[in-house]
Amino acid sequence: MIGLVVAASDVTRDVTSAHSIGGAKDLPIPAGLAIAGAVAALAVSFVVLAIAWRTPRFEPGTDGRALPWLTALVDSTAFRLGARVVGLLVVGWAVFAAVFGQDVLNNPFFGMFYVWLWVGLVPASLLLGPVWKAISPARSVHWLVSRATGGDPGRGLYEYPERLGLWPAALGLYAFVWLELVYPYSTELGPVRLWVAVYAAVMLLGGALFGEVFFERADPFEVYSSMVARLSVFGRRSAEVTGTAARGGRPRPPADAGQIVVLSPLSNLSSLPARPGLIAVVSVLFGSTAFDSFRDSTHWVRFIQDTPVIRDRVWANQLANNAGLLAFVLLVALVLVVGTASTGVEAGTRRRGLPVQFAHSVVPIIVGYVVAHYLSYFVEVGQDTVIKASDPLTNGSNLLGTGDLTVSYWLSYHPTFLANTKVLAVVIGHVLGVVAAHDRAIRLLPARHHVTGQLPLLVAMVGFTAGGLYLLFSA
Amino acid sequence: MRLAATALALTAALALAGCGGRADAPSTTPAAPTTAGGTPSGSPSGSASADASPSTPAGTTIDVTVTGSDVQPNGERVKVPVGQPVTLRVTADAPGEVHVHSTPEQEFEYQKGVTELTLTNLDQPGIVEVESHTLDKLILQLQVS
Repeated sequence: MIGLVVAASDVTRDVTSAHSIGGAKDLPIPAGLAIAGAVAALAVSFVVLAIAWRTPRFEPGTDGRALPWLTALVDSTAFRLGARVVGLLVVGWAVFAAVFGQDVLNNPFFGMFYVWLWVGLVPASLLLGPVWKAISPARSVHWLVSRATGGDPGRGLYEYPERLGLWPAALGLYAFVWLELVYPYSTELGPVRLWVAVYAAVMLLGGALFGEVFFERADPFEVYSSMVARLSVFGRRSAEVTGTAARGGRPRPPADAGQIVVLSPLSNLSSLPARPGLIAVVSVLFGSTAFDSFRDSTHWVRFIQDTPVIRDRVWANQLANNAGLLAFVLLVALVLVVGTASTGVEAGTRRRGLPVQFAHSVVPIIVGYVVAHYLSYFVEVGQDTVIKASDPLTNGSNLLGTGDLTVSYWLSYHPTFLANTKVLAVVIGHVLGVVAAHDRAIRLLPARHHVTGQLPLLVAMVGFTAGGLYLLFSA
Repeated sequence: MRLAATALALTAALALAGCGGRADAPSTTPAAPTTAGGTPSGSPSGSASADASPSTPAGTTIDVTVTGSDVQPNGERVKVPVGQPVTLRVTADAPGEVHVHSTPEQEFEYQKGVTELTLTNLDQPGIVEVESHTLDKLILQLQVS
């Protein structure tokens, strides 16, 4: 999980070591369970292909039941301000620990950054919707700065270039996973603090240049959170005229435009905007999580430690890890692009536009795999961080009153339950992904390619799922 | 002016990073207060006298050889039963330190020659990495199940 060189030691630290802030790691899932999961995924895929609906079900932005009271609550000044204050307080606490705390693993900053933020973002967004957008300190500071100078937070000096899409966020996500998985000193205070400072600087500068749209497209955490939020049951009624309304000749936005709606996660997912760079975002997220599993496997450890060229040279070791991460990300992107572009299209349709239209269907597969990969880590190191958060300066104080709590290792003590939950998460993610891809295929592809056109992507998805299960089994 | 205010905020952010950088120099206390239980009930810096102790408890004994910058085994995975102690018989040509990434973590020192290290508290199922802190290499992955 988090490569670390134990901080505060006088031993020379010049070679990457591979351990985690969380102590012991999950056992591999049993082979039988991995195979059962893969077979289930394969079977369900073809069942969906054979018997599922033949006309598109999901109308982006128009499904679901509007909830005026929830909209009124969430959009109220008090609620929005409250969320911002909570975000600033928690992040402020982390910054306090990062700046004034000691460079030891007991500093809660590491857990808050790597576990609460990076991992916790997924369950929070899955349950509540776009959480980071609501609490993002970058947005809050930008808002305060704009107000203080009499500007409009929504407007910048320039228009955000549409072609840039989510590419800046993909780059930011890669910078994060590089820090977490490849950089040898990822649990030393100085480098992590520098990373956060650069992130904050880029966000504030981007906000000033392009306005709030910059956070929506370029903040890696917001893009990740808002993407996962499309799998929650909460969405917003689109203000645009789409789907049947447009075709039915009623070019008016719906009366409840902008309201919060409760809808099926699949319907919600179908409204994920297909912006440039979306493929890169999902590839970085999936590829890096897979690499995280892979680098703990005995294959990789022995390769690094047994190959003389790599073993004896620090730079070669670093290069191998960098190449490993990049290769996993590029492989995911390649499989995804080939799987979505190799379908029959009508004359005149550009294949190059297809991958991004299907990218949303990988999101449930990512979330399922992230749940499997991080579940026990999040629950156990997350609790540990709650305890450590009371002592930001590592001087034995109990400032928040949580210092006396103890961590429940129930999950780790029930490895069979844990393994079953992990495989179930992967399989559910796979099924949702296949259904999402199916619906998009019958919307986009010509009728005669409805079934055959989906096959390459289906094969790609089965490959992702089987690969993920293999890593959970072998790592 | 708005850009000026942003620039100010940026400077503040970078200054935080910068001044923090200076602050961490004195904070690297050598005795890192790692998780409680870091010193197990056995002999943390067991000397050669460990050889003489006849009572090898039930459990697994694994030979570890450290020669120069080489360590054997080399990242291998070994299955051990839950709750049983594991003894590492370390033969080394120089003293060094071993980190055991169990929950909670444990640290041991070994001497030049043969040192027996007894790992207890392996009660929680999982993968426990045993790492040579001195060489920064993974020695073993104990599959506790």
